[in-house]
Amino acid sequence: MTAQETGLDGEFRQQVVDTMITVLTRLLDRAEPVTEDMRLMEELGLSSTLGLELLLELEDQLLILIDVELMDQEKVATVGDMATFVADHSRPG
Amino acid sequence: MTALEAVSVYLPPTRVSVESLAGPLGLTEMQVKLFRRFHGLKQVGRDADASVYDLLMKAAAGLEELRGQEHRVRYVLYARTMPVITPYPVNPLHEVCRALGLGHALAFTVTHQSCASGLLAIDMAGRLLAADTAGPASNGDGDAGSGPLALVLSGEKAFTREAQMFADTTVFGEGASACLVSAYGVRDRLLAYASNVRGEFDSATGENDARLQREYRPSLAAVMRQALDEAGLTLDDIRVVLPHNVNLVTWQRMCLLLGFPRDRVLLDNIPTSGHVFCADVFANYKTACERGLLEPGDRYLAAAVGAGGGATFAAMVFEH
Repeated sequence: MTAQETGLDGEFRQQVVDTMITVLTRLLDRAEPVTEDMRLMEELGLSSTLGLELLLELEDQLLILIDVELMDQEKVATVGDMATFVADHSRPG
Repeated sequence: MTALEAVSVYLPPTRVSVESLAGPLGLTEMQVKLFRRFHGLKQVGRDADASVYDLLMKAAAGLEELRGQEHRVRYVLYARTMPVITPYPVNPLHEVCRALGLGHALAFTVTHQSCASGLLAIDMAGRLLAADTAGPASNGDGDAGSGPLALVLSGEKAFTREAQMFADTTVFGEGASACLVSAYGVRDRLLAYASNVRGEFDSATGENDARLQREYRPSLAAVMRQALDEAGLTLDDIRVVLPHNVNLVTWQRMCLLLGFPRDRVLLDNIPTSGHVFCADVFANYKTACERGLLEPGDRYLAAAVGAGGGATFAAMVFEH
């Protein structure tokens, strides 16, 4: 069952955003704030490998399993895009 | 024209878990989880008692089609991921040639395209053989029964840390393959080969590592489409894709990019064997045959990326 189907989309998506910002700040050792509209690769310099590490941390912290195989990186450009993908393509882990 | 006459693969029966490699390789808990959860790399083969020579001989031992045909073998090509794998003067290629009764053949190593060197060696073997013969009509029967042959070997030991894993992307497993190639054979005919060498992606400098990560899948997709174009085919004509075993998530995302069904990419060997250097596509070919995935006339696509001292993206289209 997806997050949308459980009716938790908005609340859960915000939880994903908040967790992503905390994890990204640490992973990237970043002093400046991370915001939802920031582009993951171009602005934050997130590599594919670090992107997977971010998803793994989200799984661990939010106790979910993410359908990573369905993630089209071209359509997941910003922090917000990834949060939406995770909210729509995850289930309790 | 190039054709695969026979393929044999040796994968060690002993498997070691990715967790057990964490200590020797200095992997963090996060790296191990990444390999297992997203990359789908759970175990790799190790043959602790086998030398490089032993690995190659174990693969060649399964090549029944070579028996009695040694005199037809003109070339022995050893495709390798790493340019240097044994201390001087050890030369496993020449030792294997002598042991197999192929001392008369011209033997050489194909390197510098990392894990894509295997596909290059197949192409080189076919072109060398074709250059030696007037064409399929010269020997009356294609050349399936009498024409010259080449033996293409691959297989390496995971000696060092660099030979055991690559930059949070893959874990290498030991194993070897032996492939008999003809110029004009009728089995598994090569329809097209495309490759793109990108010297700027040299991991020694690390300058373009982020760019390589971004361009990896689009570059591989481009070379796959180029091979299909040259064969006059589209992805819809392809029964199965035989990938290099870099990891699961890369190929899952390749399928999204290509619009190709995941169940037609042979990913079965990734969790249990890891990335077996240049031998992946041959191991996957054997698995596809064993599972009955290829019928006579089916077209299939083999794809590999060699990354290290530059990157090579390569694809071959065959007809079974």
